[in-house]
Amino acid sequence: MIKALLFKEWKKTKWFAIGAFIAGVILLTYLFLKLGRSFRMVGLEHLWDVIVNRDQFLFRDLKFFPPAVGFCLALAQFVPEMVQKRIKLSLHLPLSNRKIVFTMLGFGMTLLMIIFAMHLLILLTFSGIYFPVEITASMIYTLLPWYIAGLAAYAMMSWICLEPSWKRRIFNTLIMFASLQLFYLTDFPGAYSFVVLSVVIIPFYVLPFGYLSVQRFKVGIQD
Amino acid sequence: MQQAIVECKNLTHYYGKRCIYENLNFEIPKGRILGLLGKNGTGKTTTINILNGYLQPRSGECLMFGESSANLSPETKQKVGLLIEGHVQYSFMNISEIEKFYSAFYPKWRKDAYYELMKLLKIDPKQKISRMSCGQRSQVALGLILAQDPELLILDDFSMGLDPGYRMLFVDYLSEYAKAENKTVFVTSHIIQDMERLIDDCLIMDYGRIVMQKPVSELLESFKRYRFTCEKPELLDNSNHIYNSVSIKGKTELYSLLSKNELEKLLSGNVKVTNSIQEESLSLEEAFIGLTGKY
Repeated sequence: MIKALLFKEWKKTKWFAIGAFIAGVILLTYLFLKLGRSFRMVGLEHLWDVIVNRDQFLFRDLKFFPPAVGFCLALAQFVPEMVQKRIKLSLHLPLSNRKIVFTMLGFGMTLLMIIFAMHLLILLTFSGIYFPVEITASMIYTLLPWYIAGLAAYAMMSWICLEPSWKRRIFNTLIMFASLQLFYLTDFPGAYSFVVLSVVIIPFYVLPFGYLSVQRFKVGIQD
Repeated sequence: MQQAIVECKNLTHYYGKRCIYENLNFEIPKGRILGLLGKNGTGKTTTINILNGYLQPRSGECLMFGESSANLSPETKQKVGLLIEGHVQYSFMNISEIEKFYSAFYPKWRKDAYYELMKLLKIDPKQKISRMSCGQRSQVALGLILAQDPELLILDDFSMGLDPGYRMLFVDYLSEYAKAENKTVFVTSHIIQDMERLIDDCLIMDYGRIVMQKPVSELLESFKRYRFTCEKPELLDNSNHIYNSVSIKGKTELYSLLSKNELEKLLSGNVKVTNSIQEESLSLEEAFIGLTGKY
């Protein structure tokens, strides 16, 4: 049954997932090409100076990509459920409502982590070739909060989509943008090094909120 | 008395301050087809939503197979086939994908029943449901319910958006299936002609109340339209066994559960009937209008 449920989620999100992966690869390719051009134009010494002495981060263009993917995945997955209240069909499946909702949310979170892991793997492989371990490690600490923001954006957008009342959706949207601010307090490389393990809790803490919205739908709350 | 598959007890529901109904009680015995008839906005879909656990009533409760509908166990959900208003299904799947998807959830799944109905559609099994007409979608939804082989079928406004051909096909298939397999069905529709061919019992709702709850045969046998001319139609009392009396230029038309003799006796006093009363048998649709009025 769970396998069938996962198939349904994959049907909804397949093209988006492939598109998001390709878009990420295109973005990374663009960043690599830009970096390569900098190597040639200004020289490696200058680039080293920019990274080490001036604390500049070369992949800043990636900043809002993960939350954008998170938002869109939640929309691709849950808008079809809420249009025509199709979620009634899902909740009528012979499983507990909790299992149905958490399987759906778990699927989205896992899919997102796979997409992000592939992007990071490409990025770190490239970085490992050209930069020393210390710079690659600093890069991970700088990128991780943004990618965790992507997971949080997914969890919160799912919560918004599953919420049956528009008034509450607006309130949830404000909460979402306020919470996402936490991941973008500074661009300084490695600034989140000491708190990265704490912020990783946020998306998993927010994920069950979607189930609460489904419970509100179940009792008939609407505008 | 047969075992009740569905029991609704003292249901009361309001949207804001608007009362939908108060103390609604009904039950559906095993093997019966109950039609919930009512005009738009009288609470048909509200009742279906409460029954399926998608709405919490202000008070009262609904039981399905003895379980509270607000919190059905997976085993009970497996026994209930649900058709949502507008034949809503997972439109991002195609005919064969949706069959495979649902088959994983129901142990008694009857693939043949589904594909037998799909053959009538003469469309490619790879065609997405989103690209089908409303009529075709209705057949997919019905096919899935037949394949599920549930003990109880809940169908919300199954005739919505269907042309007469598809409506008839739907009713014929459903009726034959339900009667042959002794299924219990709870159905709503605003097209009453379809219901007449399908249902055993009717529950007719008007704004805020149940007007009638009877087997259809009993209703059509006892509920009649009477026409006559009289001198004082304004003295007709609609609350006294008389439904929706209308008088135009002395010609009066009313509906009643009384026999012709009983009505003659009732009217003999004050309204002064000036010719013989004509009695007319009714179709279910006419009876519905007679009970709820044209407006």
